[in-house]
Amino acid sequence: MERMKTGIPGLDEMLFGGFLPQTANLVEGAPGTGKTTLGMQFIHHGIVACNEPGLILTFEEFPQQYYRDAESFGWNFRKLEQEGKLRVVMTSPEVSKSDLEQVGGRIENLVKEIGAKRVLVDSLSHFERIVETPTELRNTAFSFINSLKREGLTAVLTRESDALLGESEDSDETFGFLVDSYIMLRYVEIESSVRKAILTLKMRGSNHDKGIRQFEITSRGIEIRTPFEGREGIMSGSPRRMVDSFVEAFVRK
Amino acid sequence: MRDMELDLTGRLMADMDPQLLEFLKEKVDSFVKWDLVRFFHDNPHTTDTADNIARYAGRNEDVIKAELAELARDGILEEQQLDDMLVYSLTRDPEGRQVVEEFIKASRDREFRVKAIYHIVRGTR
Repeated sequence: MERMKTGIPGLDEMLFGGFLPQTANLVEGAPGTGKTTLGMQFIHHGIVACNEPGLILTFEEFPQQYYRDAESFGWNFRKLEQEGKLRVVMTSPEVSKSDLEQVGGRIENLVKEIGAKRVLVDSLSHFERIVETPTELRNTAFSFINSLKREGLTAVLTRESDALLGESEDSDETFGFLVDSYIMLRYVEIESSVRKAILTLKMRGSNHDKGIRQFEITSRGIEIRTPFEGREGIMSGSPRRMVDSFVEAFVRK
Repeated sequence: MRDMELDLTGRLMADMDPQLLEFLKEKVDSFVKWDLVRFFHDNPHTTDTADNIARYAGRNEDVIKAELAELARDGILEEQQLDDMLVYSLTRDPEGRQVVEEFIKASRDREFRVKAIYHIVRGTR
């Protein structure tokens, strides 16, 4: 089966080869966990290694911020824009949604102009401010995601989680139901140090690695490391050693 | 006094690129417009409403609404009705984009900026 490789060492293996083409893939995590970096790496790898031009739709950062951030990983986004392989578009969710619903809208024209195959939408969280009810949010996001697929794009959609460690209390599952794959990035506190964990929660139409792995943001981007071993409750943010849980459950009774 | 000022303006503008001088005189006649032209130069693919652009540019919506409309009227921006929203984006005309590019490039030079600022201040009096 054809796959859209992310180019992230370890993640493509977790996804059994990469994302499926023309799918919407949610990356959710707290600020600083690496959602945007993952998305930029997906876009950069597509352009330089797979000849698949990309689009970045940003609802919060200026293009200059992406150029700077990308540069710190050795990715020259400015050059890629000049070469017509990348477009960084700063816009708002309401305008981009309406634009994509038009025939011959600006985003559609940009996709055609550069032959884009990949898109990073940073971030879906901003749709929450333009709607009033969960039903409206679901309909709006559904229409937006479908319009990206209609354009033949494979999308990485970021979403901010409001909890720094563990699960968000008012977690909204709207986006989780709408997307084809769901990747969670989490901070994990282990022995007084904070590490990062990645988990592929779901992947429609494909098997995937169910393990929770450690990852790091290096000077080359995201790199996936080994699974967390001998611990449980990783995604709670405060994992316990399995041996402690065993003692608590069976020995201390 | 007025003659002296006209003479100074004449000298200040004399060595300016005629196309840029025209652009400055006819189209970018306020600091808000200058800001907006720079914003769209840096964000050439942005299409958005006046209130969002105001937020990006750190300006008040009421201040920039009229300026956006004038820039659209003068062909630097495009104005489009998108559902119930009035949105603005940089002109797609290559010649128009070229003038914007040259204006922003020139405005990196301090001497040009001084002349341009003088011109705008004089025009707003």
